[in-house]
Order: sequence, then structure tokens, then C-alpha cells
Amino acid sequence: MLIKVPSVVNLGLETIKVDVEVNLANRGLPGFEIVGLPDKAVDESKERVRAAISSSGVDFPAKKITVNLAPADIQKEGSLYDLPIAVGILSSVLQFPIPEKSLFLGELSFDGSLRHTKGALLMALFAKEFGFSNLFVPKDSANEAGVVKGVKVFPVENLIQIAGYFLKKRNIEPVVYQKILSGLPSSAEFDMREVLGQEQAKRAMEIAAAGGHNIIMVGSPGSGKTMLARALPGILPPLNETESLEVTKIYSVAGSIPPGGSLITERQFRAPHHSASLVGLVGGGAKPHPGEISLAHRGVLFLDEFNEFPHNVMEAMRQPLEDGYLTISRSKQRVIYPADFMLVASANPCPCGYLNHPKKNCVCTQNQIKKYQKRISGPILDRIDLHIAILPVDTAEFSDNQKNSELLESSKIIKQRVVLAKEKQEERFIKDSIQSNAQMKNSHIKKYCKLTKDIEGILRTASLKFQLSARSYMKTIKVARTIADLDGAEEITISHMAEALQYKPKIYDTV
Amino acid sequence: MEKAVKIEDKKYPKSLKEIGREAPKKLYYKGEWKEEIFENCLAVVGSRHLTGYGKKITEQLVTEIAASGITIVSGFMYGGDEAAHSATVRIGGKTIAVMPCGIDMIHPEYQEKLYYEILENKGLIISELEGKFSPVNWTYARRNRIVAGLSKAILVVEAGLNSGTLITAKYAKKYGRKIFAVPGQITSDVSKGTIKLIKEGAFVVTEASDILKYYNVSPANLSNSESQAKQSSILSKEEKTIIEQLKREPMEADLLSRTLGISAAKVGTTLSLMQLKGFINQESGKYYVN
Repeated sequence: MLIKVPSVVNLGLETIKVDVEVNLANRGLPGFEIVGLPDKAVDESKERVRAAISSSGVDFPAKKITVNLAPADIQKEGSLYDLPIAVGILSSVLQFPIPEKSLFLGELSFDGSLRHTKGALLMALFAKEFGFSNLFVPKDSANEAGVVKGVKVFPVENLIQIAGYFLKKRNIEPVVYQKILSGLPSSAEFDMREVLGQEQAKRAMEIAAAGGHNIIMVGSPGSGKTMLARALPGILPPLNETESLEVTKIYSVAGSIPPGGSLITERQFRAPHHSASLVGLVGGGAKPHPGEISLAHRGVLFLDEFNEFPHNVMEAMRQPLEDGYLTISRSKQRVIYPADFMLVASANPCPCGYLNHPKKNCVCTQNQIKKYQKRISGPILDRIDLHIAILPVDTAEFSDNQKNSELLESSKIIKQRVVLAKEKQEERFIKDSIQSNAQMKNSHIKKYCKLTKDIEGILRTASLKFQLSARSYMKTIKVARTIADLDGAEEITISHMAEALQYKPKIYDTV
Repeated sequence: MEKAVKIEDKKYPKSLKEIGREAPKKLYYKGEWKEEIFENCLAVVGSRHLTGYGKKITEQLVTEIAASGITIVSGFMYGGDEAAHSATVRIGGKTIAVMPCGIDMIHPEYQEKLYYEILENKGLIISELEGKFSPVNWTYARRNRIVAGLSKAILVVEAGLNSGTLITAKYAKKYGRKIFAVPGQITSDVSKGTIKLIKEGAFVVTEASDILKYYNVSPANLSNSESQAKQSSILSKEEKTIIEQLKREPMEADLLSRTLGISAAKVGTTLSLMQLKGFINQESGKYYVN
């Protein structure tokens, strides 16, 4: 007897339908075989299915069972075929039909219950596109799949429940997606109010958050670089619907959505350590997996001690920094992962870290400093819009002036300004394919950043005086656009441009 | 062909001969050897870790002194030496760089541009070491005796205790050269050496004329009134307060914003504009008035 149970395979962010064909033959020795390029996890599915069916109180059929995953030439991986295989066998044993236009996905536990499985969202999106109306997924993954409107998502707890449903003895309520309202507590470790001093750096953070600009902080150890970066999530604007779905897709593929989790509505903050491997950071592997830069899509990638990162890792980020996506090519497949992130980097000014420190003396020679600063290549620095020098704060100055910290702006207030500026940008770029000022290409700059003669004059004087490169020139305009947006101004004024010049390349461009 | 001057030669600088047994037997050189260049020499030495203050003072003093025709002698190291040499070549003055390595080497390498600028401005590169002799610990200290020996006086801008700069000062004392020192903040590590010199009787320098008087040279007419005129042009209220604050003490933008109670954004804007107009400048994170 042949039963077909439809499921899917995820190749990168692409989804392809897979038919799980289960054949129970009465002739031949009892056995259980899976064909169709299964990987180890799929092959082990046999044992899980056998145990799960037995623990559900159904005798495992003593027949020759052959499972084919069609199309047979695509490598299948993961544990998601447990449920379709088990449903196929059960349908033969218990004599129930497989409903039409349905997709199945889920990993089984030995006791017959279903475990959270990655990729549910991608399957739901696929279902919507190709007209599948019913999805059977583990209960823990149902919220993730339920994000897609127009598809009925059935949260399955265990095999007994789903068999009961097909035998019309029990009911499973499809999940109803509830839009999670914004105003969730932010994931920031610090409030901007807790950062004492660093007024200019905080302002730069605000600009970076509003316009999605890459930013680099250079300063001595203990001057507050990491704290500033960790406070950043608190002032980031929330993801809009499209962005949200994009991010959730990547997390779904990576299996990084927690059980019961749903749409990701907050910008993600990723902080990989500098010992991260190339594949871990940019993605890849024999079966291409999204890396940290893709997990930071539409969010923040914080690279602490930037010049400690290996050269090849740093250079591999150049293409995604420019294009916003990364193509991973393998002999058998090519995968494109989006990686449009905001880079926040921090670095020490010299090997000892105390160059320009007001109290401590730097013990590095000029040569050592040059060598150290050269570790960040020019092309990478060129892609960073905001450069700030962080000088250590005299804590004594603040401890006896507690009132000061009361007056400091909280992240909440800064976030309000950022959100308004972000809305302005979305409105502006409604007809373009970009979302933020940082993504503007030269054609956009020409269109949206009209400069008066005076401002152009100032910019030209500045680029002569500070020896700005052509790219820096354009970057300054982009930053000025964001400052104007924060100010609620339609046009860039002289003062916006003058402030933007504060964040021009500083220490690290001297090498 | 290697160019060199021997101690027996007539061209050999007199002042250097005076130091007696320690005078180098042979001086290799690059550039054009003219005896006038050795007439009025001032050694300008400073710490390798020159502060923004030290750099500014060196530039200010050297510019005026070199413009009056005095030859600036120094050791071509980064920091103080580099500041002295480059301030001199910038106004087209004469300068002598005494290398700690063989004459055919440029050390430190990355100052290659300055090396050729010195030669272009009719300056001299000299060394007692031949060919590609690599610089080692002792050559730096030995080099300093030539720097002191060539000059009538030495000017110490910033020096740590136990520094090469103080070694030069020690030689200068030994050879009976006059020592000028620039006072700095007593808390700064690179002022400890200069303060020690002052305590031991070095002359305090606060302006170029202090040194020019010793050389009996009248100061060159550098139009300094220009910056004064700029000051009096119309400044906004914020610009004025910021300039007043910076005159008292160079500061970073954060501190300015805190002390004056102006937002970081506004301070940044004003600083950028004033910097473009040339009122203020920035050095290692701090702003100061030109």
C-alpha cells in the first residue's frame, strides 16, 4: 500500500516540496528503509518513528516499509521528516486518509510527542504561495508558522492526537496569530542614562540607530565602548512588518527561534567574539548555514576589539557590507542569505590601549601603533560612516554630582526621536528599494539630499582641510541627511552638515 | 659616491671640533655641505611621546626661530624631533637631521617624505655611521652628542625622566651649551624631565624672543596679526564661550558640552564650523585655540 505525505526541504531560504512516499509491502522480510538522499539525521528517523509509534499504543507493522523522499536527487537533512513518515505509516495501519493540500513537518520524541523543529516559518510561507491550506507542525513551532495569514496551522502535540484528529475522534484548534504589540521590554543591557559622560558618542549612537549607519568607536580600555554598544538595542527602532518577516525567516532556518516563539519584532543584536571562525561569522559550511552577519540582518553586528578579528574574516565582510547580502556557492548548491546589518565596531587606539589617555602613558612606539591600526583595512574603514574617539570619563566627576545623571536622557526618549526619523526615511524611500539613509546610493543622494551653494562650499572646504576621500564626502552627506531627519527638517542645513563633519574618519585614517 | 667630511678638513664644523675627544672623526652627509649652515645652530629636542601641547609649542617656537635664519638641529626621531624638522621645512628654513643609523638608511622609514623635504630645503642629513649601519640602542645616545655638539644652545620642549632627550641635555651641559626648557604641567610625565632641567638652572622659554636674544638675531616679521583680526570678527555667543573655555585649557567635545551645558550636537556643530574657519584646531581628541 502506497501513501504520499507532502512535506518540504529548505535549501538556504528557498523551499522545495518533498513528497514523503511510504510503502508498506506485505511481501518480503519486515524492515524499514529510507531512500532519497537522506542524511544521517533523516536516516535515524527510522528509530524515532518506530519508538514513537510503539509508545503511542499502536503496534508497529511487521511489514517491509520503504520510504522515498522525492525528488530523490536533492539532499535532505534534519529531523523534520519524522512526522510525515509516522503519519504515513499510521494512515496505513489505522486506515485514515491524508487530507488534501496539507504539509507536515516535525521531529518526534520516543514517547510520541513532537519537538520544536526549525524551518516552520519557511514552510508556512511556501504553503501560502503554492496553495496548501493546512499545516501540521509541532505545537512549539506553531506560533512561528502561524505568522503567515491564510494558512491553517495545526499545533500537534503528539501522534495520538493527530491520529485521533484524522480519525475524527478529536479536534485540533488551528492557531490564531495575534499581532504582538510593540512596547515589549527592550533587550538592552544598559539604559543610555547609565552611560556617564560620552555625550558625543551617545549622539553618534543616536544618529547611527536612526539612519542605520555603520559606526566605529576607538578608545582606551574601560572608556565605555562596550557599554555604549550594549545600550544601543534600547534605542533602535522596531522592525516593520516586511523586515520582521525577513529576519524571522533567517532565524527559522538557523533554528534559532525558541520553542513557542513567533515573529521577531525587535532588531537583533549579535556580538560574536573575535575568535569566531570565518564560516561562523559570514555563514557557509558544506551545507550552507547562515552566519552571524545574517543573523544580524536588519539589526546590529557588534564586533568588539575589531582589529583582533582575523584578516580574512574582516575582508569577507566587505561584500555584504556593500550589497546587503551574501552569496555562498557550493558545488551542489548556491545560497543567498540576506545580511543587511549595521556594523558597530570598537577598537583600541594602540596595542597598549592608552594612546591619548589623559592620565596614563602610552608605551607603544610609532611603528607598533601603525602596525596595529593597519589591521583594519582601508576598504573596511571606508564603509564605516561614523567614526568616534572615546575618551575615558573621570568617574570622580560624576559621583559627587548625582544630579547630573538624573538629567541625562533615557533610552526611551532617544528612541522616540529615532523612531520618528526612521518613519521619515521609510516615507521618503517608499518608491525605492532601500529602507534607510545609510543604504543610499549616489543616485539617491542626488535626489534626496539637495545641498545649497553654501553647504556645498563648506563641504568642499572641509574635504580639502581634512582630506576627505570621495566616498567620505558622500558618507558625510548621508550622515547629514540623518541628522536632518532627527531634527525633523526637510532640507539639510549648514548646522546639520557641520555636525556630520564631527564624525569624519579620525585616528585610524592617519595610517 | 659617498660624501664625507673628515675632522682634519677645513669644512668640519667648528663647534663640533670644540667638543674634543668626543668629536666624530668622520661625518657622512647627504645634501649640500655649506659652512654657513653651521653658524647659528639650535638643537630642538623633545619626547617621542610628544603631547598635543608639546607639539603645538614646538611648532610655534620653531617656526619663529627658523624664520629668523637659525638652523634647527635635531635627531629625526618621531615625536619631538619630527615636529621640529617639519615645522622648519614648512617655512622653508634650514635644518640638520643627525641620524642614529648609517647614512644610506632612512630611520624611521615612514618619515621618508620629511627626509626629502629637508634636503629640498637645503638642509643636511648627517651621520657618523657609514652605509647601512642599523640603528641600535647605543647609536641613539651617541647621536645625541653630535646634536648637542653642533649647536650653540639646545631647546628642550618635553622630556621624560630617563629619556634620550635628557641625554642630549647632559651632553649640552658637558660642552657648555646653553639649555632652554619649556615649562609644562608638573603632573605630566613628559614634563618631569624639563622641570628637572629648570630646577638645575636651565632657562625658561615662553616665547621665541627668549632664544633669539641669545643669538642676537632680530625676529622675522611673521604676520601674527592675522589671527588677531580673525578673532575680532563677529562670533556667535556660543562660539565666544567655547573659545574662552578653550583658551584656558584644551578640551574634548564631551567635556565642553558638560562644562558649558550645551548639547553634544550643538557643540559638535559649532566646533566643526570654527575649525573650518580656522579659529580652533584638533589634536589627539582635544580642541585648542589657534
